[in-house]
Amino acid sequence: MVLLGVTELGINLPSLIAYLVNFIILLGILTLFAYKPLMRMLDERTERIRESLEAADRAREEAASAHEAIQEQITEARREGQRIMDQTREAAERFRTEEMDKARQEAEAFVERARADIQRERDSALQEVRASFGDLAITAAERVIRSSLDRTAHESLIAQVLEEGETLRRG
Amino acid sequence: MPTSALAKKLLLFTGVGMVVLLLVGFIFGAVGSAMFGTDMFLEKPEIHLPPQAIFPASTRDEHLGLLNVEGETEGHVTPLGATEIAVTNTLLSSWFTTIVLILIFVIAARRRSLVPGRFQGLVETMIEGVLGFASSVLGPEMARRTFPIVATIFFFVLFNAWLALLPFYQFLGFTQDGEIKAHLIRSAGTDINLPLALALISFVFVEYWGFRVRGIGYLKKFFQLGKIFRGKPSGLIDAFVGFLELTSELVRVVSFTFRLFGNMTAGEILVVMITFLVPFVATQFVFGLELLVGLIQAVIFAGLTLVFLSVAITREEH
Repeated sequence: MVLLGVTELGINLPSLIAYLVNFIILLGILTLFAYKPLMRMLDERTERIRESLEAADRAREEAASAHEAIQEQITEARREGQRIMDQTREAAERFRTEEMDKARQEAEAFVERARADIQRERDSALQEVRASFGDLAITAAERVIRSSLDRTAHESLIAQVLEEGETLRRG
Repeated sequence: MPTSALAKKLLLFTGVGMVVLLLVGFIFGAVGSAMFGTDMFLEKPEIHLPPQAIFPASTRDEHLGLLNVEGETEGHVTPLGATEIAVTNTLLSSWFTTIVLILIFVIAARRRSLVPGRFQGLVETMIEGVLGFASSVLGPEMARRTFPIVATIFFFVLFNAWLALLPFYQFLGFTQDGEIKAHLIRSAGTDINLPLALALISFVFVEYWGFRVRGIGYLKKFFQLGKIFRGKPSGLIDAFVGFLELTSELVRVVSFTFRLFGNMTAGEILVVMITFLVPFVATQFVFGLELLVGLIQAVIFAGLTLVFLSVAITREEH
């Protein structure tokens, strides 16, 4: 009776074994030809995505650092240019000052020399005048004494002397 | 792409057509026949619990009562003997499921590429779904190692249940007097041998991992005799707990078997009976339900296997 119940339910040993074998074959085929390759590919894809993201991050960082470096260089160049310009301006200024000083000194020296020359000329002229004036005075006195008391004569004498003196001076 | 106005019209026509079909089905089904005396659209179905033999033909005819037995006007259906060898309709359907599964997965694996197409995307979603489910129970390391068995159980139960909803499961069969005596293929879940086979595999798988991870000490869980040998009376309780553990381990096989068998068989009977009562449209709701039941049974079978496995490989703290 128990056995009949089992068959009524459908228990059948060969079927059971067939299902077991069937499942194991399915398991083997799926594991070898489907799960393993697919899992490997999923892993590979995960790996690839992770690498790509990392590479993208790295590239972004590199770009940022490159940008920074370029900015640095530009700033540096600008600073350098400024420095060169400053130097140039300073040099020009110094050159100008030097040249002006030199010119002034030369002018001063020239003026000084001219002044000294003039002084010398004047001194010698004065000397000369003084010398000839003495002579003139003596000559005039002689003449005055010679033709005394003739007022007009005196005057004309004096005028003559003076005129001579003038001529002398001019000469 | 239909415009929205056209889509609305289509929806309306489909809806009206469905309602009309439902009414026609109601009138000419068994319910309408009883109420209005109309001719029945379908014969009253015969429900057989055990699977029927298909090959060899002699075995089939013998068990379907198709042989002319002396002294009897009509043969009667007898179940296959417990050790009788025959290809049953449920076995055929399990082969069909197996072939479909192999085609789906092997084609997806053959044509795999790092940038997936739609088909590969679908298969990958299924695989990652099961892997994620297993990881949530066992953790990623063990989930990967046990994935093939868990996934195969899951997909086999799922596809077995879903494929059985295809119409040719219902209309292909061996007839006598215009009546289907035996279907050519029948959902393998309705054959108790399949749930039993899966339950045994799940059992062996769990015990194998129990021994593999915990070594011979795994047996201590079932034979907690240490205290008895040291003469402590409380050892009796430990021994009894061990006995309970052992029993529950074995009872799982039975519960696994009858849960799947019961659900699949009930689903089949429900589809057949609703089709008999109201031939059109009404079955669609049952099909929807059966899709859900198939998924639930697959999740339960795989999920319980995972849970039992996780219990088996965990050392209990004393």
